[in-house]
Amino acid sequence: MQLFWLSVGFGLVTASVLAISAVGLSLQFGITNYINFAYGDFMALGAFFSYVLNNEVLHLNIWFALVIGSFGMGVLAVLFNRLILSPFARRFNKTFYVLIVTFGLSLILLNLEYSIWGADVRFFKMPIDRVLHIGPLLLTKDQLIVMAIAIMLMLGVHAMLKTTRLGKSMRAMSDNTTLAMTSGIDTKRITTITWFLSGTLAGISGTVLGITEGNLTPASGELFLFVIFAAVIVGGVGSIYGAMAGAVLIGLATEISAAFINPAYKLDTAFVILILTLLIRPSGLFARPGRA
Amino acid sequence: MSGIWYYVFTLIFFLFDYFILAMGLNIQYGETGILNFAYIGFVAIGAYVTGALSLPNSAGTAQHYILGLGLPFPVNLLLGGLAACVFAVVVALMTLRRLRTDYLAMVLISLSLVLYDVCNNFVPLFNGADGLYNVPEPFAGALHLTTNSFIPFFAAVTGAIALIMWLVMSRITRSPIGRTFRAIRDDDVVAAALGKDVFRQQLKSMLIGSFYAGIGGGLIIQFSGSFNPTAWLPGETFVVFAVIIVGGVGNNIGLLVGSLLVETLLVHLPAFLPAIPGHPGLIEYFDAVVIGVLLMVMLWFRPQGAVPERVRRASSFGVRERLLGDSGAVSDDIAPSPQLAIESAAGPGDGGGQ
Repeated sequence: MQLFWLSVGFGLVTASVLAISAVGLSLQFGITNYINFAYGDFMALGAFFSYVLNNEVLHLNIWFALVIGSFGMGVLAVLFNRLILSPFARRFNKTFYVLIVTFGLSLILLNLEYSIWGADVRFFKMPIDRVLHIGPLLLTKDQLIVMAIAIMLMLGVHAMLKTTRLGKSMRAMSDNTTLAMTSGIDTKRITTITWFLSGTLAGISGTVLGITEGNLTPASGELFLFVIFAAVIVGGVGSIYGAMAGAVLIGLATEISAAFINPAYKLDTAFVILILTLLIRPSGLFARPGRA
Repeated sequence: MSGIWYYVFTLIFFLFDYFILAMGLNIQYGETGILNFAYIGFVAIGAYVTGALSLPNSAGTAQHYILGLGLPFPVNLLLGGLAACVFAVVVALMTLRRLRTDYLAMVLISLSLVLYDVCNNFVPLFNGADGLYNVPEPFAGALHLTTNSFIPFFAAVTGAIALIMWLVMSRITRSPIGRTFRAIRDDDVVAAALGKDVFRQQLKSMLIGSFYAGIGGGLIIQFSGSFNPTAWLPGETFVVFAVIIVGGVGNNIGLLVGSLLVETLLVHLPAFLPAIPGHPGLIEYFDAVVIGVLLMVMLWFRPQGAVPERVRRASSFGVRERLLGDSGAVSDDIAPSPQLAIESAAGPGDGGGQ
């Protein structure tokens, strides 16, 4: 039972990281309607920006480094969209091309990270933490901060989508871009803002992934990518609330399964759930009409 | 034999081997439009099964693997190809019918990572992270080949196999089934309306392509004598995509050109350059960046590839011309201007909605 509650604690932390990253991926997918296969590398790159600020240049506190590094990744995501992805998406009608381009971008970013930072495992500079008992759960202070960040971001995204003009425009665009455009919504501006948010969320989730896993390599984002895909598909592709629910489900399932099977395969549990979802309810838990 | 010849024949081997791999991915992606992002997984299955079948029983060795039947060369290779086909049926039944393009790509790339994870961690299957090694060299005993003379010999064998597979593939792409594949690629709804069972045809295309993947993988393990998980990280799929996009999607000769440009000149030639002191692996990293950039530049300036697909005069009925004309007209309606093209890409009608 001790082991079970321990893994529930880990599961909630993984779910937090997953929720941030899955929402970032879904926001962008909803607006542009293609999957960004470089998203895992966005995460790793954002984490390395935080790492540089934390360890190499300003020696900032990790939480400040996280904020600045992630905004840096957000700006970079906007540039990638403007310079590479959006020209390809405009020019070619088939989704094929832009998917291949994001796959290529992923290869380029991964190998640039390798050439700059090498394949060594890196660590954030953080004060040594002590374990807190919360009910039956055992969590460190950093893990609690990560969970708080995730909850705040989810509430923030919810509030933005439901109450602000920007969020309304984003929902309109993700329902029907042409209609949104004819209603006078500046779709280009919304797309840019969405890429900024998506990149920032990727940066935040990459950094908190590095914090919770305790290490950081250029490949850590890419290995995490298929868990994000599982969360997104289980939740229903393109649905923000589905992504949140999928993240909690997948996060808990992977960590709790690690208590019973060899932990080396814990992430593969996500894939099993993904396949089961496809067989039973292919459109996901929170399906949007007209898709899947 | 001097080192330079050893090196030249290694390059020739990879040229032919990637020609085979590119033909397999081309029938799936280039002819049928299935975005198989797990392609390297099928290659790996072919390689592992071929190797494990030719190795003796694992009981007395330091390695752990299943099978271990000690089968002779062409038999194990064929079975390796068939193993990849079996895997393709399982994957196709789970995913093809349910998912449209980008969802399929997501699931397949996840599959590739999971397969990698399992092979890397589950030692009794194919020796885990160490992979298979000491795989017997085909015919080396019978023909009294040394390690040096084996390299040119096996490069020639691979060339002969590639030639046969190219002839077969040319027949397939010219036959009615090839035309059906291309009709599905260009517009699966139109193909279904003309009475084609889209899923069945996609399954056939997956099977043919996976067989080529398995053979290509089997040849790699026979050539190098070893195969381990670092050889088939999911990013390797991208190299095969780069081969067919640079060479020319839907054109078999173009694939040979692409294999020469990407695989031989960009992937394997720099591997023999001296390492930059103090920066191990920097050349390989930089190499991968160059491949990614080349692919984007190629897609932008010459999306049809170095050797474009020929306009086929299909049957006397001109079905394909009409199909092409129709789908062209439809996309023109949706996207009369570049500004609106992004809308049609994002519109609900995109992708056929399976």
